[in-house]
Amino acid sequence: MSKYLSLSLQEIHELLKNKKITPKDLVMECFDNIEKSNLNAFINVYKDYALSEASKLEELEVDDDLLFGIPIAIKDNIMVKDMKCTCASKMLDNFVSIYDAGCIDEIKRHHMIIVGKTNMDEFAMGSTSETSYYGAPHNPWNYDKVSGGSSGGSAVAVSSGIIPLALGSDTGGSVRQPSSFTGIVGMKPTYGRVSRYGLVAFASSLDQVGVMSRNVYENALLLKAISKEDKRDLTSFETNDDITCLINKPLTNFKVAIPKYFISDIVDKEIRDKILEIKTMLETNHVTVDFVDIKYIDKTAILYQIIAMGEASSNLARFDGIKYGYSYLNPKDLEDLYKKTRRYGFGSEVKRRIMVGSYLLSGENAKIYYNKALQIRDDLSKEFQKVFDNYNLIIGPTTARCAYNLNTNLDDPLKSFMDDILVMHANMGGFPSLSMPVGFNSEHLPIGLQIIGNRMDEKTIYQLASFIEKEIKDDFSEVRNGI
Amino acid sequence: MEYKKTVGIEVHCELKTKEKIFSPSISNYGSIANTNANVIDMAYPGTLPLLNKEVLSFAIKACHVLNLNITKDMHFDRKNYFYPDNPKNFQITQNETPIGTEGYVEIEIDGIKKKIEILEMHIEEDTCKSVHSDKYSLLDYNRAGVPLIEIVTKPCLNSGEEAVKYLEKLRELLLYAGVSDCKIEEGSMRCDTNVSISKTNKLGTKIEVKNIGSISNVGEAINYEAKRQEELLEKGEVLKEETRRFDDKTKTTILMRVKETGNDYRYFPEPDIPFVHLTDAFIEEAINDLKRMPDERRKDYEKAGVLPINIEKIIANKEISDYLENFLDTNLVIASNLLLGDIQSYLNKNSKTINETKLTNKKFHDLVNKLDKKEINNKIFKDILIDIMETDQDIDDILKDKGLNISFDENLLNDIIANVINNNQKIIDDYQNGNPRSAKALMGLIMKEGKGKIDPAMANQKLMEKLNNL
Repeated sequence: MSKYLSLSLQEIHELLKNKKITPKDLVMECFDNIEKSNLNAFINVYKDYALSEASKLEELEVDDDLLFGIPIAIKDNIMVKDMKCTCASKMLDNFVSIYDAGCIDEIKRHHMIIVGKTNMDEFAMGSTSETSYYGAPHNPWNYDKVSGGSSGGSAVAVSSGIIPLALGSDTGGSVRQPSSFTGIVGMKPTYGRVSRYGLVAFASSLDQVGVMSRNVYENALLLKAISKEDKRDLTSFETNDDITCLINKPLTNFKVAIPKYFISDIVDKEIRDKILEIKTMLETNHVTVDFVDIKYIDKTAILYQIIAMGEASSNLARFDGIKYGYSYLNPKDLEDLYKKTRRYGFGSEVKRRIMVGSYLLSGENAKIYYNKALQIRDDLSKEFQKVFDNYNLIIGPTTARCAYNLNTNLDDPLKSFMDDILVMHANMGGFPSLSMPVGFNSEHLPIGLQIIGNRMDEKTIYQLASFIEKEIKDDFSEVRNGI
Repeated sequence: MEYKKTVGIEVHCELKTKEKIFSPSISNYGSIANTNANVIDMAYPGTLPLLNKEVLSFAIKACHVLNLNITKDMHFDRKNYFYPDNPKNFQITQNETPIGTEGYVEIEIDGIKKKIEILEMHIEEDTCKSVHSDKYSLLDYNRAGVPLIEIVTKPCLNSGEEAVKYLEKLRELLLYAGVSDCKIEEGSMRCDTNVSISKTNKLGTKIEVKNIGSISNVGEAINYEAKRQEELLEKGEVLKEETRRFDDKTKTTILMRVKETGNDYRYFPEPDIPFVHLTDAFIEEAINDLKRMPDERRKDYEKAGVLPINIEKIIANKEISDYLENFLDTNLVIASNLLLGDIQSYLNKNSKTINETKLTNKKFHDLVNKLDKKEINNKIFKDILIDIMETDQDIDDILKDKGLNISFDENLLNDIIANVINNNQKIIDDYQNGNPRSAKALMGLIMKEGKGKIDPAMANQKLMEKLNNL
């Protein structure tokens, strides 16, 4: 089997354009990869569909779009018409979507080929993908380690070389954290850059579709392709800026801030050291790097949980056994239908969050917790804004530790939340944030660097990321095609 | 000492916008079940609400006619509760920032005016319509997401009669604001009421009566409920907060459920709809689009001399009243008589609206003026009604074609009268012998000869002159 998919998108594009290969070759190779893989990256795959789409493309002229004919994997909480959309839950095990999400419209418009839906934490709730009804995916760097989550399947599919690109979703780090654990580039864009229409809601004010790729440039290309104001999502905004325009441009008068909290002792020493190494490297290249204090930065996890679980309890109320999805058979009465459908349809982590969320919104609690959390969230955003007044970007580690063993956290939900303590600020403030691999720990597991930018300023993130990518000598492609 | 009734009323009205509030589905009544429903209405995973601007515009109009302050910075909230007719299991409504606050509707009972104070008005979405049978419950999603306004009074009404007057007035205002059909029988207007009684200034236990099927029944429900509560209190019983419904057949209220310790709707701001700022320009545009309200119209009709009973008939028929707005410079007595009388009969008989006929504004204008100047009479009008309604000809042409354009040829009238008098000496004799019926007989002959071309009033006058001068 040929290995075209390990080439860069530019190289693949040249081959397609010169008719050395066809999109069908790419799809065949992709399914060959899927069949050989034992990492449980996908929940459902659609070979016939993908091949037929590839055949259709053969009748078209290859245009200048580097994404033309490229296979892509989609997280299973994003609607693709006529494909199942399970959200890795028994509740939607047999649910087939009847419409395309806003971002899928764009994927299809760019003639990319969707090969399947990737594994994830149930309803995106988790940070290891272990809450999936279909079992956890495995980390290609070490089969016994978690992939991260909730977009674990997408991260595994890209990092193991099954496919060059994938979509994920990021409510509190769900694109960046698994990207960090698996050594790929993952971007959560500014809230509103990508339509949420067709993304199954977890926490509406935090959710954002994100992009996952092998390198910075391809990441920016994919994000550019799916960025679009969508009249069906009132929180989406118009985007005409070329987010790729600063890639590989020199860093002149560049200033970067590292929040002290991000390199405090909550972070593994190996990771801290790697970040300080990056700091030194940047300073050598005339970038100013300062440590800064940001108010509320250490309180974010609590605020995040209040908002995320409160909204989730409401968003997941629609799964009631009446309209679609799993429905408990022969209930005694309506109450029984609701209770049993949700008892047997949802997994324990989802139920736990719904219960806590319902409690947080109950009676006076809404004022004590949810409304107050929204207020402090505004203050937190303003604190970040203040930093962006003086610095181009904020950097730090993506995660406090590297990928750990499967089954470590299952008994302790709080530990799982610890995985996201460095990434949820971007969701709270609607800021774009990217994770990219910058090294390995002593177990040879990837370490991720997080870059946070001001709202709409993805292009500056890509500028710094492309610079660092060139400076890093480690090879993160070694597990690709080692399937 | 007597018990004092305290009543508050909540009214839900469907706004008759073209589309639903949060989806582009058509919003109308009477379509085949589940044909006006899309993925948003059915709460498909991944769907998000839109916001129909027309709903905001309609709600602003309603605020204006109900004298409510408009909340310029407002947002929507989620009201969370599980029920099959509530597809998302939360309803998008306004809890914290209702679009309208602190307004009133003025009513009049026996010449005494009272302002019924409105606490607030908010916008929300309607639920599915459920139909229950023994084995199944069926849901019609056509109604899910139809825009509603809910109007809540302060507990400031004191009788069933006041409630009826308030509801009639409210209905009239919303109808004339053009925002709702306010048809209770189709469910586009729904009334719930809270009734309590007390001998002191401290309010008694509040009991809710829901889903009352007509405005007059609201009055009956309140009066019955107050009496029922009084009997219980007199027996020394303690009332509990509960929800009851009105039974139309027995004219009584029936217990639905006892209220448990406060419903917990877990309200929080709807995160999928950005907070709304209503600009002054937007508000102004909505208000400027309003037509004249009924009380203003009543004054004009009264000034023109329209009978009070007819004034109310016109106001009760918005189509007629709206039509009359184009003819305020004509004789409104004649115009309204035409519209309430023959034209209305024609429309009813042919199941048409005025717009579906060939009656143009110009034709109606001419018609009223010709009648006013006595250029034609009512008989002629009746003869040409069908031509007016069903042909493109203008009034003059119709009259000309039918040879009816000579009605005020006095010479003709004089000739006919002279002729009749000359040829009926026997009747003249009778008349002169004092038989009152003989004048009528002569009139009959004159009208027969005139074949509707002469004005009966004038003919009568001239005939009497002639007879008395014989």
